[in-house]
Amino acid sequence: MKRLTKYAGVALIVLGVLAPFIPILIWSFARRWYFPAVLPTEWSIRGWAYAFSSASRLPQALWQSLLISGVTSLLSILIGLPAGRALGLHKFRGKTLVEFLMLAPTIVPAFAVAMGIHVVFIRLGLADTMIGVILVHLVPTLPYVTLVLAGMFANYDVNYEAQARSLGATPLQTIWYVLLPSIYPGLIVAGMFAFIISWSQYILTLLIGGGRVLTLPLLLFSFASSGDNNVTAALSIIFIAPAIVLLIISARYLTGRNVSLARGN
Amino acid sequence: MKKNIYLLAIVGLFTIVLSACGGATETSTEVDFSDWDAVVAAADGQTVNWFMWGGADNINAWVNGSIADTLKSEYNVTLNMVPINDTAEAVNKVLGEKEAGQDDNGSVDMVWINGENFRTMRQGDLLFGNWSATLPNYAFVDANDPSVLNDFGYPVDGYESPYGKAQFVMIYDTADVEAAPATITDLVEWIKANPGKFTYPAVPDFTGSAFIRHVCYDATGGYEQFLGEFDQALFDEKFGACWDLLNEIEPFLWREGEYPESDARMKELLANGEVHFDMDYNPGSAGNLIEDGVYPETVRTFVFETGTLANTHFVGIPYNSPNKAAAMVLANVLLSPEAQLEKADPAVWGDLPVLNPALLSEADAAAFDALPRHPATLSTAELAAARLPELQAPWVEAIEQGWIENVLEK
Amino acid sequence: MLFGGGLLLALAQSFGYLPIIGKTDFSLVAWQSIFQQTEFWQSLGLTLWIGFASTVLSTVLAIVCALLLRRQFRGKKAVTFLFQLNIPIPHIVGAIGILLLFSQSGLLARLANLAGMINDPAQFPALVNDRYAIGIIAEYIWKETCFIGTIVLATLQSVGEDYENAAASLGATRWQRFRYVTLPLIMPSVLTASILVFAFAFGAFEIPFLLGRRFPSALSVLAWRSYTDTNLALRPEAMAMSLFIALVSTGMILLYMTLSRKLVRQ
Repeated sequence: MKRLTKYAGVALIVLGVLAPFIPILIWSFARRWYFPAVLPTEWSIRGWAYAFSSASRLPQALWQSLLISGVTSLLSILIGLPAGRALGLHKFRGKTLVEFLMLAPTIVPAFAVAMGIHVVFIRLGLADTMIGVILVHLVPTLPYVTLVLAGMFANYDVNYEAQARSLGATPLQTIWYVLLPSIYPGLIVAGMFAFIISWSQYILTLLIGGGRVLTLPLLLFSFASSGDNNVTAALSIIFIAPAIVLLIISARYLTGRNVSLARGN
Repeated sequence: MKKNIYLLAIVGLFTIVLSACGGATETSTEVDFSDWDAVVAAADGQTVNWFMWGGADNINAWVNGSIADTLKSEYNVTLNMVPINDTAEAVNKVLGEKEAGQDDNGSVDMVWINGENFRTMRQGDLLFGNWSATLPNYAFVDANDPSVLNDFGYPVDGYESPYGKAQFVMIYDTADVEAAPATITDLVEWIKANPGKFTYPAVPDFTGSAFIRHVCYDATGGYEQFLGEFDQALFDEKFGACWDLLNEIEPFLWREGEYPESDARMKELLANGEVHFDMDYNPGSAGNLIEDGVYPETVRTFVFETGTLANTHFVGIPYNSPNKAAAMVLANVLLSPEAQLEKADPAVWGDLPVLNPALLSEADAAAFDALPRHPATLSTAELAAARLPELQAPWVEAIEQGWIENVLEK
Repeated sequence: MLFGGGLLLALAQSFGYLPIIGKTDFSLVAWQSIFQQTEFWQSLGLTLWIGFASTVLSTVLAIVCALLLRRQFRGKKAVTFLFQLNIPIPHIVGAIGILLLFSQSGLLARLANLAGMINDPAQFPALVNDRYAIGIIAEYIWKETCFIGTIVLATLQSVGEDYENAAASLGATRWQRFRYVTLPLIMPSVLTASILVFAFAFGAFEIPFLLGRRFPSALSVLAWRSYTDTNLALRPEAMAMSLFIALVSTGMILLYMTLSRKLVRQ
């Protein structure tokens, strides 16, 4: 009996997690699927055919999304690494304040920031450009990366670096052979989630990219609000594919602490 | 040392992105926009960023396919269609750019527009002016057609170029509704007799707003009295009757008085039999949706005996567009008999053409006549007989605001 | 820098002040105006309801799930992986799934029809674009339960079962073990996670935009509508509203930092 409850509970969890994906998957192949039919009366690949046709501009959106998310996560790591190191290794006055300031952007909605910045970006010619979009994506990704890396550095012993240096290693060698091997799980998790946060952004891209920078969420949104379920479903599946791939790659580096800061929007 | 490496890497990444974005738009040099050959020459190599509603796959496919190909092969102009949810987004964008002082390198080169948005842009001096008659294909447009000279009562004056025509039709499922109501009064009776099976989209949805106007025309004793400038006293005096009628039917609507937030949601409701009526500004859309397998085969359209609203939609060029020449070339392509014919084909889009058949070559005119018509689409003659003019935008705004205050929030 | 600067700029603009575009008047009009609108207060009420309901329900569910997933069973690895699966899934996709599942002609309504419970879509309860924001809350629960649950699970694994076993050997009942041993152990991470969830559900835009009603709408949607209105005079109000959201969220962080510090000391 107890066993039964346990397995029933587990089955409920599995069903609950998967439930929203079921209609998405069916709709992407459905045609003439009216109430009360539980399964479509006709099948069609219209949604997929449209998604992959040149008219949908999927290739362009996919490429821009990948480029923006890739560069955003690289930049977050490059900037977050020294910042995380300082936060993780050193105690200094005002550290709490800095921590607070770092935590704030993970909680305060980024569109408040983006609205304020928008007019300046227009002025500087950064609005409607990929660079502008990447910069504004850094607002939510950077603090996250910094915090995860600070966590990694908290358990990192700087003395190894000193030893390597005293044995004649150059700064680059020290980074490559000492620093990177000890923090790379953190780097991978931080990078992956920076990618996913940037990948999922809609409102920031719309506001700063102004529609000129076309990413996958923008494409998806314009179909989701138009009620074309076939195309919406097909685009949804394409949209989540990278997230799942990244999860599979990074799953073994995931820990509770990392997850607590990682959130696809 | 380490810092330098970082700086280098960051700068390097930016350079990569910069080069990837590539092809920065050139600011247009002095072009004589009244000389068509000069316009075509200036357009060579430009990219036109066309902001348009992007929620219909057939329209997107036509624009990104046929139109983009023509622009590229005949004029070496690249089309970048920017899908938006609402034209107001583009208007807001140009406004924001003007406020920020971005006066000659704006991001919008062309916008699909009419009505309130056109008026807002004209009054804010946001549109490039007096260019539409320069287009060679404007010769096929009836220069005296009031619906092309005025946009919701606001004079066009060459600040936008006609693109297509629209007429409001009601849509119903013959499997659930025995006979189409001939008048608003009949419709109201049907609604009361069939609770939960009718609704209309909430404003600012374009279609919902038009439905409200139809009801108000009927409840206030005809539209003719509102054709002039906006008159607050007249509005206050007459429209109470309309709010009363709309509030009277509210409890009999879908979910005991709820309004879907978009026309797209309405379509789903009809497709699934949640409601039995829908409405659309494109008389051919019901036929297309049947073909796409969204609507059941039993869906048909009708117009009220007292007529339905008809209007024209246009394309406009913002004052700060750096690619005005390319935008003009695009507008001209959209006006060509070939494009208008393709667009009118129900298999492509089914949008009503803006060209006057009498001005076309015989072959072109015959091609328009020979277009197939879906059984759910009314004939051109039936539609033409029922055509009503739109009111000026301030009236429309007042009615929308009045509906929000007196019906939605009551 | 970008962040603080952006917020300051938003603050300045909410007072109608932005010298680089020639606006040098300083006024409180926008703030006064939003506080006078009934729509603002209705939106605030709705947004708070969404935030609290999503947070409380997903937290409770998450603890239940974590306790269950911690036990031994066949396929545990796969289920745990699945449980983490929708953490990186974008909210937009979750919203689309909820829409297709919960609408009155959605998959659930069709199943209800198959089971003979309803024979018309209108008989199925309104669960999306509805008065009580059920669709929005359901989406947050769907996604955030997995998020909080994963964190709780990690905490449970790191503390092990020694304390609970000790309590059991002293004769504590199951409930007592949970209430006095397990719960205090996982409390810090539950609090952290749930405050993050609240702040997110309070300020997010995409979900209420897709699954909400037009009136009243969530604060973020209201702010966005004012920002993109063709009347630019509404922009300061949009800034004021989004700053208001930011203010509430900041209050949440402060609460979070105080609480977590207190709990760490204990």
